[in-house]
Amino acid sequence: MSLRRTPLSKQHIELGAKMVDFAGWEMPIQYSSIITEHNAVRKAAGIFDVSHMGQIFVRGPDAVKFLSYITTWNMERQKDGDCRYCHILNENGHIIDDTILYTINANEYLLVPNASKISEIRDWLLNNSNDFDVIIEDLSDTYFCLALQGPEAPRLLGQHLNTSVNSFQLKTFNEVIVSGTGYTGELGCEIIGPLDQIEFHWEALVDMGAIPIGLGARDTLRLEKGYLLSGQDFKGMETTLETNYAWVIDWDHEFIGREALISQKQTKYPKLSGILLEDRGVLRPGCSVYYNNNKISELTSGSLSPTLRKGIGLSYIDLAIGSKITIVVRGKHLNGRVVRTPFL
Amino acid sequence: MSEVPDNLSYTKDHEWMLIDDDGRVRVGITDYAQDALSDVVFMELPEIGSKFSEGDVMAVAESVKAASDIYAPVSGEIVEVNDKLEESPELINESPYEFGWMVVMISDNTLKNTLDSESYRKLID
Repeated sequence: MSLRRTPLSKQHIELGAKMVDFAGWEMPIQYSSIITEHNAVRKAAGIFDVSHMGQIFVRGPDAVKFLSYITTWNMERQKDGDCRYCHILNENGHIIDDTILYTINANEYLLVPNASKISEIRDWLLNNSNDFDVIIEDLSDTYFCLALQGPEAPRLLGQHLNTSVNSFQLKTFNEVIVSGTGYTGELGCEIIGPLDQIEFHWEALVDMGAIPIGLGARDTLRLEKGYLLSGQDFKGMETTLETNYAWVIDWDHEFIGREALISQKQTKYPKLSGILLEDRGVLRPGCSVYYNNNKISELTSGSLSPTLRKGIGLSYIDLAIGSKITIVVRGKHLNGRVVRTPFL
Repeated sequence: MSEVPDNLSYTKDHEWMLIDDDGRVRVGITDYAQDALSDVVFMELPEIGSKFSEGDVMAVAESVKAASDIYAPVSGEIVEVNDKLEESPELINESPYEFGWMVVMISDNTLKNTLDSESYRKLID
């Protein structure tokens, strides 16, 4: 099967991007270097083509009730223009995907599932919507998403669209949604709209100085902030509590997976924890974690933090913050410890 | 276009070798290799005095995305390592043929399986 391309493929390749297969899409992994791009987002502003991500719109009189039932968040608490990060669970409390929920207005809502989960989430929504008066429309194939991230992002957004957005708030311009969201932990926004507008926004922002950023730096940026990567930190068998994301749950509403989470709350279970390497080295997903000479887990994510210049990773473990562990990197036990996330 | 200096010898594993007046072999990775690896963020180098046969893994270059083995281009003993790479592994990207050298070896065997600059250019073309 051939890989899908975003309308900006030509621009990416002209900018010198190395293209890779990501969830069936040919996407830029880096343009110049991961470290340079990472630092550009932390210190200036970067722009990401994340058009592989999905856009599923939900409308209808029961949209609020339905989305509250489907997600860990209670949409009754959300006002027009609010955005919120939350999880979509199955009956066992296992995460199917994480998403941002957008309340565009009282009649229109948007979810942004990960590229590899779009059809699964669309089917999940359709299969659970029988008792609700809603219209579910998957527009992933006809919508783009660009993320503009970094301390300079608000200035560039002002220059480009003569507007500003607050964190986790959105504004609409004709058919385009601009939201104060992203996955880097920096100030900035995401621009979502119909595909035929993508080149206008990309080219204007690149011309204004936004630096194109690939998926490689997207991974190090999100990992430094302890953000989850779908398909890696959760892949079908992990609950929201296990990922240590209890803050995305509003317990005071009915939602799929709630009973399972309530039972799990009473038990002891490993939680996704930050691992900081004290020796020199780079952590990788799959590295074994040892405590008192016993293997206790493996890393779900691992890399080098370009900001800290240390190996960092995530692993499901049941140890207190500060516990000393070793991580096996290419056959050698390196020293590390359990730390609180975000790493910075 | 990758730089391939004419005064060096090369291997098909993208290492370069420079033989000095004492017959010692200075080893690093090529401009093409550093570009393919991208940001080298950590170098694991051998100890001085360790011995390798041609083709053994003697060092590891780690980039943000992956770890890559560096092979001994000749059989012999490590007599010098570039300590600067511990603090500044980025020298491999910035200066692959000069400040980014990795080790110096003393070898008994002659360099027979090596490529000259012309053949190496063809290999990476």
